[in-house]
Amino acid sequence: MAAAVSIQGLTKTYLDVWSKTEIRAVDNLTLEVEEGEIFGFLGRNGAGKTTTIKMLLGLIFPTLGTATVLGKPIGDTDAKAQVSYLPEEAYFYEGMTGWDTMDFYARLFRIPEPKRSERIRQCLKDVFLDESAWRRPIRGYSKGMRQRIGIAQALINDPKLLFLDEPTSGLDPIAHAELREIIVNVGRQGKTVFLSSHQLPDVELTCSRVAIIHRGKLLTSGKTQELTAGDKVEITFSGGDAALAEKVKAVAGTCEAKNGTCRVPAVDPQKVNDIVDLIRGAKASVVSVVPHRRTLEEVFVDTVMKAGAN
Amino acid sequence: MVTLAIAKQTLEDMLRRKILLILLIVAVAMIALGPSVGFLSPRESSAVLRSLGLAVILLAGLLITVLTGIQVIPTEIERRTVYTVLSKPVQRYEFVLGKFLGGLFTVFVMIASMGIVFIGVLRYQEGRFATEMIQGVMMTFFQMTLLGALAIFFSTFATPVVNFFLSFGLFIVGNMSAVTESLLNNKNVATRLIAGAVHYAIPNFGNFNIQNKLIHPQVVIKDMNVFIMQNIAYALIYSAVLLLLAIIVFDRREV
Repeated sequence: MAAAVSIQGLTKTYLDVWSKTEIRAVDNLTLEVEEGEIFGFLGRNGAGKTTTIKMLLGLIFPTLGTATVLGKPIGDTDAKAQVSYLPEEAYFYEGMTGWDTMDFYARLFRIPEPKRSERIRQCLKDVFLDESAWRRPIRGYSKGMRQRIGIAQALINDPKLLFLDEPTSGLDPIAHAELREIIVNVGRQGKTVFLSSHQLPDVELTCSRVAIIHRGKLLTSGKTQELTAGDKVEITFSGGDAALAEKVKAVAGTCEAKNGTCRVPAVDPQKVNDIVDLIRGAKASVVSVVPHRRTLEEVFVDTVMKAGAN
Repeated sequence: MVTLAIAKQTLEDMLRRKILLILLIVAVAMIALGPSVGFLSPRESSAVLRSLGLAVILLAGLLITVLTGIQVIPTEIERRTVYTVLSKPVQRYEFVLGKFLGGLFTVFVMIASMGIVFIGVLRYQEGRFATEMIQGVMMTFFQMTLLGALAIFFSTFATPVVNFFLSFGLFIVGNMSAVTESLLNNKNVATRLIAGAVHYAIPNFGNFNIQNKLIHPQVVIKDMNVFIMQNIAYALIYSAVLLLLAIIVFDRREV
């Protein structure tokens, strides 16, 4: 599959004018995002996520390294026509109505009438923005409504690639869940989503692959399933006697018996067959063999802590 | 289309600014009340009215232009609306031109509104349409076009406060072109060099001040049309150069 975003050695440094020291906001970042995937870009505050996105959009310029977006170099207008961006805080012209805001952004994509009005209507409906708000100035919108119009403007050009920077931050639980659903729907339409977020449960639910950066450096990247896969398996069986429990304990190290059921909480994968054979050999029943999974939050915290975060 | 969309958005945004509307209302009120100060010089009440009207339009136009010019680009960066605009297929030159044109349309609307009231007051006072005054209002607009381009250029790298003083300062110095021109023949070499640098590098805003010729018909200009066309061409060419420089600077600016 082709890369929607390809980053090679991207580096961004700033000079601190007071201390005369160089600050590396992004440090030799190399990364690929494939077409059609929802990609989670994770990191603590100040890790370099927004700086990376801003470089990919041509808003700021890399100090070193290169990147392509939809196969075109950074800042290419043809690529930008197929890309959209929702900044961390959705900033708008406060005096404009929701409809006029959408009309303005549609004009920037050179979408002619009547297609423009059709797209505006469709996008506002897709993000569930109440129709009564369409002709009201944005200054009267709630945070949730602003995020909806932010997503709507990001969809106006029917983009191939969306950059979403903390799209669900500060939203109430209902708005949060609805917005997450919108993002999932966007992914189902085959669009590539580059999602920068602190909401790790959201990322775990929506992203097929993730990357974790810390202090501008890439710590790890991979499929969400693989990163969250645990290295132990839990086995539960019933019907065995005390002798079986002892044999299992000798292999697995532990075996907890309760109400006629035994639970072996953390078995090395290579010992699973031996234990299952013991259970079957004793005419007992295997109830379940469940691989452990870690949450993305655990993976994130472990990865960042190992990198020396405080 | 993109440039015009940005210009339209800028115009609408600026017309919502209360400070600009207050300036317009105050200026229009001063022009409308102009006939009441005619008693200060009964024999030349018409000249006083014309002088006052053009002076008010110039002063209000100056404030409106500077306040617009210093804000249109920095406000986009400060409010971060520039992110969603420049992440679209918008070239940076289109953004700068759109912002300039939006600011210019704002100044045009303001000056035209004041000009219409001014001509209306003269019609009421003198019983005829003083169409020659349109030239004065028009020259003020082109003077402001040049000042607006200067403010836009500074806004690509200077803060609004610095830009305010730079634009105002250069407008004042640029209005003293007659002084700097006279110093070009000074015996002192240093004076000549400094006067030359100021005279040729800083926009010649003084050339647009044709009030004296309009208010006092005894002041003769060989060919008024040529004089006006020359000044309009000067304003447009100088503004184009300033906008080109603004685009070059903004193209390299991180937002």
